[in-house]
Amino acid sequence: MKLLLVSIIMFSSFSAQAASIYAGKSKAAAVCSQCHGVRATSSDAPFPPLAGRDEEYLKMALKQYRDKTRVSEVMNNIAGSLTDRDINNIANYYSRQKN
Amino acid sequence: MNKTIIKINQTLLTVSAGLLLLAGSAHAKSDMHQLYEDNCASCHGSDHGGYLAPAINADTLKGRSPTALRTLIMTGSFETLMPPFYGRLKDADIREMVKHLQATPKQSNPPWTIKDMKKSLKVYVKDESTLPSKPTYQIDSMDDLIGVAARGKYGRGKGSKAIFINSKTHKIVGEVETGTAAHIIDFDPANSRWAYVKTDTAEIFKVDLYSMKAVRSIKTGYNGPALGVSRDGKYLMAGSFVPHNAVILNSDLEPLKVLELEGVDPDGKMVSSDSGMIIGTPFADVFAIALENAGQVWVVDLKEGFPITKIKNVGRHLHDAFLTHKGQKLMVASYDDSVVIAIDLKTRKIIKKLKAGCVPHVGGGAAVKVDGRTLGFGTNFGTCDNNTVVSVWDLDKMEVVKQIPVSGGTESPAAHANAPYVAVDIITKDRRARTIQLIDKKSLEVVKTLDVGGHAYFPEYSADGKFLYVSAGYAGDEVVVYDSHSLKKVASVQMESPAGIFSRGRVKYMTRGLSPDEME
Repeated sequence: MKLLLVSIIMFSSFSAQAASIYAGKSKAAAVCSQCHGVRATSSDAPFPPLAGRDEEYLKMALKQYRDKTRVSEVMNNIAGSLTDRDINNIANYYSRQKN
Repeated sequence: MNKTIIKINQTLLTVSAGLLLLAGSAHAKSDMHQLYEDNCASCHGSDHGGYLAPAINADTLKGRSPTALRTLIMTGSFETLMPPFYGRLKDADIREMVKHLQATPKQSNPPWTIKDMKKSLKVYVKDESTLPSKPTYQIDSMDDLIGVAARGKYGRGKGSKAIFINSKTHKIVGEVETGTAAHIIDFDPANSRWAYVKTDTAEIFKVDLYSMKAVRSIKTGYNGPALGVSRDGKYLMAGSFVPHNAVILNSDLEPLKVLELEGVDPDGKMVSSDSGMIIGTPFADVFAIALENAGQVWVVDLKEGFPITKIKNVGRHLHDAFLTHKGQKLMVASYDDSVVIAIDLKTRKIIKKLKAGCVPHVGGGAAVKVDGRTLGFGTNFGTCDNNTVVSVWDLDKMEVVKQIPVSGGTESPAAHANAPYVAVDIITKDRRARTIQLIDKKSLEVVKTLDVGGHAYFPEYSADGKFLYVSAGYAGDEVVVYDSHSLKKVASVQMESPAGIFSRGRVKYMTRGLSPDEME
């Protein structure tokens, strides 16, 4: 019982702090990759690639889009649906992709 | 004479300018039509009647919120091929397009005549004797080539290509840009140099596989994937959804004869028809074509005048087919009757109608020899209650062997004489679409599910049967290669929105799964 409790605490603290690349992958597939691709965008797309970008930069940009200090109709809407944890996961995932 | 023309033109110009000022909307309407043709028609149909993607017209979009439609165009539709047009089209144009779509009824069949076709013929290499006499890249056998129809994110543009891979090294050996999404790649059975690529906007590119260059192209219609090559490589036949016709061409892509596709359907109604599959066969100098709506299969003899034998009452809404018994027997899928119809191309009569699953779509079909029997495998698009299956028939006795339960709708089976599994792609639109399932040839049961990623479809074995290629399509943007025995991932080939995969080995074994050494 004690062990279980300890592991629950450890697990929850783990997920609160560290970003999950798997959660990032599934969120990116559902929210971002339609426009930004996984490793690259379409050769004809007007969207910037996200793969291999700096993790902190991606977090900052998504948060700015979310609180509308950076204005874009589409990105304000899309980022508006993301939690802090989503943003951490997505930034972590994309920063580790090779472009 | 010239003067008169100039004068008339000037008058016309003045009149049109006046009209433009008076009725700006008329001008906008033709602009919108062009914008539709340039961005939407390759998937939604030049007649607004739907093609790969749903029909979008006044009728189908009635009552839909313009705001929701605008959002859908801007962001695209997830888990479909619909791309985001945000940043590609101006917001004002997207708003106008929504209005245009909600006001435009389905158009009647726009004509595309043999004259239009001839005019569209483009020659990129005038003197074919200047082409290299052997492949300009390292490859053991041309049968090792695998062609992938890379659609490109927008179904057009720089990402739209036919990409050719050496299936022993999994490296790209050539890329041919096709302008709009490549859909079908067919190989010349008689000369390993040539391949033909057909796009969703019905252009055919003749490709020299030795130099990996397009030598000619022709536009055969507005939309439609059907394409066949004759056994001697001398003729091609292409069929369209828009307009309702098919054309026989020579190998220089010169159109020889156009067939208007119409006939009496199984319910006694005279109908104009989309072109379903077109297939050449090693059995004879003929093409077979399925008339989707008329429910007929026509057999066209490749001789003077191209005479046609019409086989009627085949089924309701025919689509695709595969060959068996040295190409003498043709198995045709009928969407609305849930059957696959066996046709004898010698007697040109129906042999039997065999029960399939729900909305049979056999793709390229598959046939394997197991314990002395030749088993045919048919995939089914639909997911009816308790009927989500892959169908297996005994092709000698022409009877149902088993309906194998699978996890969703399926589109195309892959098999190879040297590989233990028949692979089918699950296309049901949720997480299942990421997967393919493997059916054991002997036990006829699903033994493994692979999570490929993207929208996984169109599995295909390499000509030696050692590797299984699968498109991780939509936003997956890669072709994934597995070892066909261990099912371990061995390679990934990056490309934009890959779809159909076509091994040149197909010309040897006719239908995937049959012996690559002797025609069965």
